[in-house]
Amino acid sequence: MQSSAHTADGTANVPRLAAHFASLEVQNHAARLGMWLFLATEILLFAGLFVCYGCYRFLFPEAWAAGSRSLDLFWGTVNTIVLITSSLTAALAVHYAKEGKNKEVGVMFALTLVMAMGFLVIKYFEYHHKFDIGTLPGRYYFYEGMQMPGITLYFTVYFCSTALHALHVVIGMTVLAVAMVRAFTKKDFGPNNYTMVELGSMYWHLVDLVWIFLFPMLYLV
Amino acid sequence: MAIANESHQEEKNMHEHHGAGRYWLIWGVLLVLTVVTVVTGRMHLPSFGLLLALVIATVKGTLVALYFMHLSEHRGANRIVFGVSIVFVVLMLVIPLADFGTRFRGANPPGSQYSDLQPPDIGTGAQRGRFGGGLRPNQTKDTPETPEPGHH
Repeated sequence: MQSSAHTADGTANVPRLAAHFASLEVQNHAARLGMWLFLATEILLFAGLFVCYGCYRFLFPEAWAAGSRSLDLFWGTVNTIVLITSSLTAALAVHYAKEGKNKEVGVMFALTLVMAMGFLVIKYFEYHHKFDIGTLPGRYYFYEGMQMPGITLYFTVYFCSTALHALHVVIGMTVLAVAMVRAFTKKDFGPNNYTMVELGSMYWHLVDLVWIFLFPMLYLV
Repeated sequence: MAIANESHQEEKNMHEHHGAGRYWLIWGVLLVLTVVTVVTGRMHLPSFGLLLALVIATVKGTLVALYFMHLSEHRGANRIVFGVSIVFVVLMLVIPLADFGTRFRGANPPGSQYSDLQPPDIGTGAQRGRFGGGLRPNQTKDTPETPEPGHH
């Protein structure tokens, strides 16, 4: 087999080289290209919501200012820090995977998952507060303290974008959990086999990347 | 073969072992920028607040993409895909906003700032048109919001 010629380094931790790739290098390159293509579609998915945000903000600047000031900036900032730190641990997991330190990979992903849970819990309390006071999208809005044209649109954009983001957090957690279990049980990540860790981590960084833009757009300006 | 060379270069870059210190450094910079954007955001800067927040977010996003996502070590097509998607996002934002900004005001939703800014004497403006524009300039009401006849 061609694969054994290219990957024989004495360990069993090597991924199988598909016959249509010239070498493992090309196979890895192709895997990354596929991931970037997928992430590009994800970016454009969120871009649709950013366009809604931009257009409605352009039309209703006062509603946007009032709406963003009604959010809890403290917990929004805490969530940003939590997500950035979880991105650090995901990046460190790739670093350790390249060194073949499977235990560290598992621990780093476990930390990432704990912070992701923290993010979702904080998000739950923010949502809960909004359901209580009635700052909800469209005709479900019943908050008396803020009444102006366009204010319901602000909360439509808020709920759509944060809910889509939260869904991505959940999907990312699933991916990272699978990689974590594998690092703890099969322990087969190493210098020649870390594509799963790398691509899972890239997905997690995308979740972080989207939040980096959503946070100032929704909470600050 | 170009593809093979690219893959080889990328593999070399990814294998080149740099310490974990770089990730901690990027993390520190991201936290500092978060504090900066929160502090400047709370000042409610009138005109350039949004621009500043977006610039800071773009810098943070670039750091994440280049170092956490290893885009700085990736080659060729991988970079083009990401770059092109960002260009498309900008196009998707600019084109609808240009549309909203240049529309006939009555076409904007009622209650929005641009439909409310309509001159209150819109009827006078209609009167003016009747005289073919500029024939009786003395009779026009002195309203700076209303464009002069014949001036588009």
